[in-house]
Amino acid sequence: MLSPLTLKRWDFDAAAHLLVRAGFGGRAEEIEKLHALGPAKAISSLVDSQPESYAPPACADPHGQDELRNQLRDAVTPEQKQSVRKLLNERFRYEMSDLTRWWVMRMVNTRAPFVEKMTLFWHGRFATSGQKVRHAYKMWHQNEILRQNGLANFANLTKAISRDPAMMIWLDTVQSKKERPNENFAREVMELFTLGEGCYSESDVKEAARAWTGYRIDKDNQSFRFAPAQFDSGLKTFLGKTGSWNGDQIVDMIVSQPQCARFIAAKIWKFFAYETTDPKLIDALASEFRNVQYEIRPFMKQVFSTQEFYGTEALNSQIKSPVQFLVQAFRTMPIALPESSVLEFAFRQMGQVPFYPPSVKGWDGGNSWINTATLTFRYKLARQLVEGIDPQELGLPKPLAMDMGGIRPATTPALLVDQIVTASDRQQPQNVVEKLFVRIFQCSSKFELATRFREFLSNRSLPLEDSTIRGLAALMMTTPYYQLT
Amino acid sequence: MEHDLPVLTRRAFLRTSLIVAALSWTVPVFIQQTCMVMHAQALDSAVQGGTGRDHPILVVIQLAGGNDGLNTIIPFEDDLYFKARPTIGIPKNQVIPLDKGIGLHPSLGSLKALYESGNLAIIQGVGYPNPNRSHFRSTEIWQTASDANQILTKGWLGRYFDNCCRGEDPTVGVVLGEQLPEAFNANVPTGVAIGRPGNLGFDRTSDPGEAHLFSELNGLEPDAMSGDSIGSLSGPNNSGLSALEYLQRTALDAQVSAERIRQMLRSSKNEVSYPRNQLGNSLGLIARLIAGSLPTRVYYASQGGYDTHAGQANTHQRLLSEFSAALFAFCNDLKRKGIFDRIVVMTFSEFGRRVIENANGGTDHGTAAPLFVCGGGVNPGLYGKQPALDKLDSGDLFYGIDFRSVYSTILLNWMKAPAGKILGREFPKLSFV
Repeated sequence: MLSPLTLKRWDFDAAAHLLVRAGFGGRAEEIEKLHALGPAKAISSLVDSQPESYAPPACADPHGQDELRNQLRDAVTPEQKQSVRKLLNERFRYEMSDLTRWWVMRMVNTRAPFVEKMTLFWHGRFATSGQKVRHAYKMWHQNEILRQNGLANFANLTKAISRDPAMMIWLDTVQSKKERPNENFAREVMELFTLGEGCYSESDVKEAARAWTGYRIDKDNQSFRFAPAQFDSGLKTFLGKTGSWNGDQIVDMIVSQPQCARFIAAKIWKFFAYETTDPKLIDALASEFRNVQYEIRPFMKQVFSTQEFYGTEALNSQIKSPVQFLVQAFRTMPIALPESSVLEFAFRQMGQVPFYPPSVKGWDGGNSWINTATLTFRYKLARQLVEGIDPQELGLPKPLAMDMGGIRPATTPALLVDQIVTASDRQQPQNVVEKLFVRIFQCSSKFELATRFREFLSNRSLPLEDSTIRGLAALMMTTPYYQLT
Repeated sequence: MEHDLPVLTRRAFLRTSLIVAALSWTVPVFIQQTCMVMHAQALDSAVQGGTGRDHPILVVIQLAGGNDGLNTIIPFEDDLYFKARPTIGIPKNQVIPLDKGIGLHPSLGSLKALYESGNLAIIQGVGYPNPNRSHFRSTEIWQTASDANQILTKGWLGRYFDNCCRGEDPTVGVVLGEQLPEAFNANVPTGVAIGRPGNLGFDRTSDPGEAHLFSELNGLEPDAMSGDSIGSLSGPNNSGLSALEYLQRTALDAQVSAERIRQMLRSSKNEVSYPRNQLGNSLGLIARLIAGSLPTRVYYASQGGYDTHAGQANTHQRLLSEFSAALFAFCNDLKRKGIFDRIVVMTFSEFGRRVIENANGGTDHGTAAPLFVCGGGVNPGLYGKQPALDKLDSGDLFYGIDFRSVYSTILLNWMKAPAGKILGREFPKLSFV
């Protein structure tokens, strides 16, 4: 069913499509370089990349809260306790917005964009929110788990996530007791993470919940700890099989269901290519996934090597997620990254704050990114990315007390036009359109749309000034087309 | 950007769209759907067309953070109340009595006036089975009208829009705030968020060439572009409406609704003064929009800060004063405008608070709580029972009325909407409207 990508199809626009979907897009030279590699090497250059070493964020210290926690423990009066709690809360919020910026920077700067894209995908699948976890360290730690395991084996990834402290708090495994197993994780693992609703029974949920007992967090280093005394070692009947199953064995049994491959393959296809309900396509993808024993890297190579991935249903058919919107802009254009509070605000206005999915279902994506309010904000933000961000003008509320000592975040500089066009380009409007068009729309300017912009520049006096070129960039970015990828 | 576009009135659009029906993709979503509705002669009786001057309006006020119900509607003759709240209990002589042992927090004097003028219903002990004590999750449950163990992605108001307001203006739902609440999540995205009125619509550009091309590329000029010119850039998707078409329609919706709202705000003013706080500002704007005949069915405003874990007395007093002053001004404004009969206000909070006060002069997350319904068309009085203080669910109140009964009553009796279909099943109806 899946047809292999032909060499004929492998043009500049195909390479651009691959780079933007498997990563966050790139400059014309990067796309050209990828194109020149030919499809197999191009795909490998993205998919076979390893997570690079990268300085961790400030919150990446399991003992970061120790001092405040000790103060809370030692506080005598309710007022003292209250003021320490307030500090903890402020620290949490500060660390979370710092963590968000850290990840965005990493997505923007990495030489392994596919690793980050896949991490973003898994974050939406194993959706966990800081809202409940309330500890930036644990949210960062989960992010690392997704990064380190997200390209290997799906069963192992799911097992690693089951032992991840953030997930254990998010879905209450930490509270699950032998006598009173909490069903939250067991249910969501099957309903949302692996099989989908209706592919298991209520009794399977109850039995699986018993297998995930004894999962605790070591308070000393915030890591997973198995508490045998809290584990229900009795016989459990899960998906028709009886044994004294533990959590990992439950995962193995889930993954052995063909439905699991269908479920995950369809989610991957939706995220990277397009949403489909075509059972033949999903079956074909699922069978590939099973053939490679749920190994994610070889499966993703298959995905990117199909003709369907480069078909008209896929090209420019997705509405960019807010993360894609911003990361792609920073990766493809000389625009400075604003401060963390500005980033967080922008993400919130657009409806996707990393580390804060709206529920365990993750983000709906697709058309749901766009309503009149989010689109109006995207246009406002796009214009400011080009002309420089003025946080107040963008609508940023008062900053957190800890953030920059209460001072409003600074404005960012405007788009650096000289890094996009040369002095001689300024005499040649079609060159300016060409260069901006490729960066902004991530495709060649052979499309009819580019003509509009050439016409727009046709009666401007030469050499083209910065303001005109920025005006053109802002115009390109305040269009429906720019929301697509 | 705001351009020299002619003001896009609904009627003008209708005319245009009938003429250019063949170019349907340049027509905004709501117009196309309106045309479909017109052609079908509104065969689907669930679809509600509104002119802005006659249909019922719901105003939802979210009291975010978990309002302490027991200190809002106070069982002031129950000794257990004072036993549970030795320091933050409201002394009997300060409570504003309403009815048999039930009274209002002293800051809610103006609600007493509304109660006496027959415009206020108080629904007591509202909650749901297996209550969740997380702000996040419990808010989600209220917003989506789900069961406690069920995750729904569409909001209860979104499902109302989907069922009853297809083809309406995007302004059928208006939120005073930067974001649409989860309650608005719908299959067909509906609703407009007004953060600051000055932020409405697209930013202006001074360059006329830029403004013109912006309009063209965003499909804001109905005859500006044909679909062919960009067809090659974007593929179709399964919904039949390509992502590009969907975006262009939303851009047009945004442009039209911003222009419309600005117009309304220019043409109407408040008849009374509102307290200068966020809720007061929001309700003041809503009154002007209603008076300006915006075809909105649901307005949504919120007031935050109710998470009173410590030092509750002062904070709660301030919050309730702000709330009641803003609501009172709103009601008086609408009465003077002669449109009070067209609105129903409903408050809600994600949960009430623990019966026993904590060691910090505050209260922790609890369960059931009262909510207010207010308006010209309300049947006044107390509904439901004050939950018993001697029979608690691990320290919390048992609910008496499922919040979805309240939704259901409002949907069916006030909005004339198929409540069972919207909420997924039937809930017992109340009689407050």
